[in-house]
Amino acid sequence: MTETSIAGMGGFKDAKFYRQEALGARSYGQALLAAAKADERIVCLGADLTQPTETYLFRDQIPERFFMLGIQEANMVGVAGGMARAGDIPFAHSFCVFITRRVYDQIAMQAAYPKLPVKLVGFIPGLATELGVSHQAIDDIALMRALPNMAVIEPSGPEQIGAALTAALDYDGPVYLRLSIARAKPDETTPLVPLELGKGLVVREGTDVAILASGSMVAQALAAADQLAELGISATVANMASLKPFDTALVERLARQHPAMITAENHSIIGGLGSAVAETLALAGVATRFAMVGVRDVFAEGGTTPYLMEKYGLTARHIAEKAVELHRRR
Amino acid sequence: MTRNSLSVADLEERALALRRRVVQMIEKIRVGYLQQGLGAADIFAAVYFGELRLREDDPDWPVRDRCILSTAHNTALLYATFAERGLIAPALLEHYTEDGSPLEVNASERLGSLVEATCGSLGQGLSVAVGMALSLRRQDHPSRVYVILGDGELQEGQVWEAALSAGGHGLGNLCMVIDRNAMQVEGHTDKVVPMDPIGAKFAAFGWNALEIDGNRMAAIVEALDRARGTTDRPTVIVAHTTAGAGVPFLEGQLRHVARITPDEAKRAMDALNGVAA
Repeated sequence: MTETSIAGMGGFKDAKFYRQEALGARSYGQALLAAAKADERIVCLGADLTQPTETYLFRDQIPERFFMLGIQEANMVGVAGGMARAGDIPFAHSFCVFITRRVYDQIAMQAAYPKLPVKLVGFIPGLATELGVSHQAIDDIALMRALPNMAVIEPSGPEQIGAALTAALDYDGPVYLRLSIARAKPDETTPLVPLELGKGLVVREGTDVAILASGSMVAQALAAADQLAELGISATVANMASLKPFDTALVERLARQHPAMITAENHSIIGGLGSAVAETLALAGVATRFAMVGVRDVFAEGGTTPYLMEKYGLTARHIAEKAVELHRRR
Repeated sequence: MTRNSLSVADLEERALALRRRVVQMIEKIRVGYLQQGLGAADIFAAVYFGELRLREDDPDWPVRDRCILSTAHNTALLYATFAERGLIAPALLEHYTEDGSPLEVNASERLGSLVEATCGSLGQGLSVAVGMALSLRRQDHPSRVYVILGDGELQEGQVWEAALSAGGHGLGNLCMVIDRNAMQVEGHTDKVVPMDPIGAKFAAFGWNALEIDGNRMAAIVEALDRARGTTDRPTVIVAHTTAGAGVPFLEGQLRHVARITPDEAKRAMDALNGVAA
């Protein structure tokens, strides 16, 4: 990528400062390392999960700014608040459940209330893990959305990870970054996807149904759109990576332009993307046929990702079925 | 002489002034954190007047020492200290706990950076202090970090997480004072959760642990000196205090929130002023 093309992506007021390496990175670990090389205020905090949180590059290349706190997430969040108050920009890492639900009060008081640049980075969103209910974050977005000052970002995948990191840095306040563990080497040929805080991104244009998705469900939504196209149903897909602030204008516009709307998230349907869209529609007074694909107010169990996605109704097929159902209801 | 060139006698005068203000402030609102305010007045006088490097005209002075009050409810004393130290206008104390006042029951940073972190949710202050100490040390920053905890607060698990990490990181720029007044909402701390030995617990976690009479100014000053002289690990000063200290008829009464009548307030002021009853 050239400097010019980055500038053209929009929304990155500090893009040059954080350098194109961060923006163009396709793994979180690379993006963080690149940003930290450009900005000495960035410090990295870990709670025993260096490998799965992709912070080993940082640890090995900038050891003087890497702080391993051990298995103590509550203390880590307080420490991050203290470091931010001393002028640093701490990135604190754990799994999604442990960096949100486990330490909610610490986040509220030591990051959100004082609006400090504490970046909370969680891995393993939603049901995508064999580790079971203890490690499945089905309410993390709901919790983080409810905190004043907190921004919530869930990129669609490696193609949006660099943009997600720079967006988190561009926001002068606390951020929850919800990330998936990379399962394979990222495809370097797919185009990078920008991310502007407070903006959704239409990634496929259609007319019959609008599917609004976040994180790994963006790919499922696009696959659902393919399936729907075979049935003669034209779907719009939007990537709602900025879960807070939320692009209510886009939601409202898509609701007016489409007779049906579906949300798709690897999270409870209570308090996450589905709720954010429903709140937006109700407050805007826009009526549309509406359905939510997500975890339906249940705890799950450990299992392979395909098994869990199928069992809990989180696949492209489930999205497509909902769309067909809404489409027929006219 | 203290770090700020005040004598023990000077600090005792300051502590007396703080106690007078605490009584007046609680009398005005009728009920509040009287006992812990009187009990910790010597600690606050020693720390804020004798020890901390602060600038009255620049609360954000980058190289100021940081002091976090983790027991953020002990505010009659905290605000009295700010006023006596010239950090806020004394007139502001008239509005303690009033609607809209920045002087809330639990100190918040609505008051500005004098309140270095908004605590109140017990157990969090030490973690924030550890983070500050880590960052200031890596920045080769000369500021020292102080944090004041209550003893009841030691029942919070997060305190021990933070204690482990402070010890493990050898934070010589960190000094914690524990106000060991044996008092919590439920009553005597030892009847709720026996906690002794406190100093030995921290010593086992890698701290320089000192136990002192927290109502004896010379002992507090000496402990703060020793803390500053210990650069390879954090110091904890377990300061044994008497709730209500300085007012004989209040001393030793374990009341987390105390009511004081105008008559009692007058008797308390007489006692503080050395007027025979």
